[in-house]
Amino acid sequence: MYFYIYDSFLSDKKYTSTLNKIETRLMDLGINGRTEKLSILKSLQEIVQEAVKKGAETMIAVGDDNTVSQIIKLLPDLNITLGIIPIGNNNKIAQILGIPLGEAACDTISSRIIEKIDLGKANDFYFISSLEIPSQKDITMDCGNYQISPLSENETISICNFDTSLNEKDTANKTICNPKDGILEAVFSPQSKRSNLFNVFKKQYSTNSVFPLKQLKIKCSKEGLPVIADGQIKIKTPVTVKVIPKKLKVIVGKNRMF
Amino acid sequence: MALFSNEEQDNREVETIIGPSVKVEGNFSSEGNITVEGVVHGTLKTKHNLKIGSKAKVKAEVEANDLFLSGEIRGNVKVLGKAKLTQSAKIFGNLDTKILTIEEGAIMNGKCTMVAETEALIKEIKKNSKE
Repeated sequence: MYFYIYDSFLSDKKYTSTLNKIETRLMDLGINGRTEKLSILKSLQEIVQEAVKKGAETMIAVGDDNTVSQIIKLLPDLNITLGIIPIGNNNKIAQILGIPLGEAACDTISSRIIEKIDLGKANDFYFISSLEIPSQKDITMDCGNYQISPLSENETISICNFDTSLNEKDTANKTICNPKDGILEAVFSPQSKRSNLFNVFKKQYSTNSVFPLKQLKIKCSKEGLPVIADGQIKIKTPVTVKVIPKKLKVIVGKNRMF
Repeated sequence: MALFSNEEQDNREVETIIGPSVKVEGNFSSEGNITVEGVVHGTLKTKHNLKIGSKAKVKAEVEANDLFLSGEIRGNVKVLGKAKLTQSAKIFGNLDTKILTIEEGAIMNGKCTMVAETEALIKEIKKNSKE
């Protein structure tokens, strides 16, 4: 059974036409199912629990990256396949999974190409894309036999399962992490001291550091430094991070980037 | 790491890049290629290729299949295949290697042992002693 979860931002009138087209297409393809809309009155956890009780086997997130990130936290320990119908501007996860925007995503869901992908786990929280660590000189990554530390404060550090900072034009130069390799990548990117306008035209990818890792511990002399998972959840240091291979079943498109 | 297709993904080599803004301390070993542009203290091992850039500072015992050195190593170095020292390379320690290339200007302070030659010599000595 398909279970559709609509994000609350879709109640805006500007999405009415898109949603109507999606619902019509789902009917045509015979994959329509129960729908629930997120609101202040009903938590996502309640909705997911209710869906499981009613026998949902496929849960479709209708919304953007934030919607997907919220749902992913709850799915890994349930035997549920995730699908996405991306709507709006912030849809990099769907882009990497090869799922087209709006109505066209219904056909991807109907084709049901399912991949088992890795998830990252930071303390008790799952994340699909990355963990962002704020610039801080006294950050240390304890990888068991060795420790990694930045030499300056101006360092963007992220632990990536797959990279949502992807821009298609940059693919030749950028690190693209594979969510099926059972590895997380710790990426250190020095921030240039030059003006932002200059950076737009000249990015220094060659100075990045990349460490393939399965497990690590993020430590900071300043206790309780917030680390951000999937751009949403704040987790305070020390944080133990590990990769959970093939943890999530997800419907992907033919144009997926892995 | 680079853009990969579905078939290539499981076979791709895992590559570690230690950039100029990072310091690694401890026993670092990798299953794939390593590029060092930053600072490493401890041990540095790979079964694949090791490239050490001109600004890198490595104070470690080093082991690799092939070594391409432009920076500085303070410690003993063991190379199973080829070692190439460019004009800016510096080694302060002993070097064991099978094949060696040194450019003019490279600095090597330590004992250099060509492993293949040594092995051949040992075999010859053993053979002679049996006779």
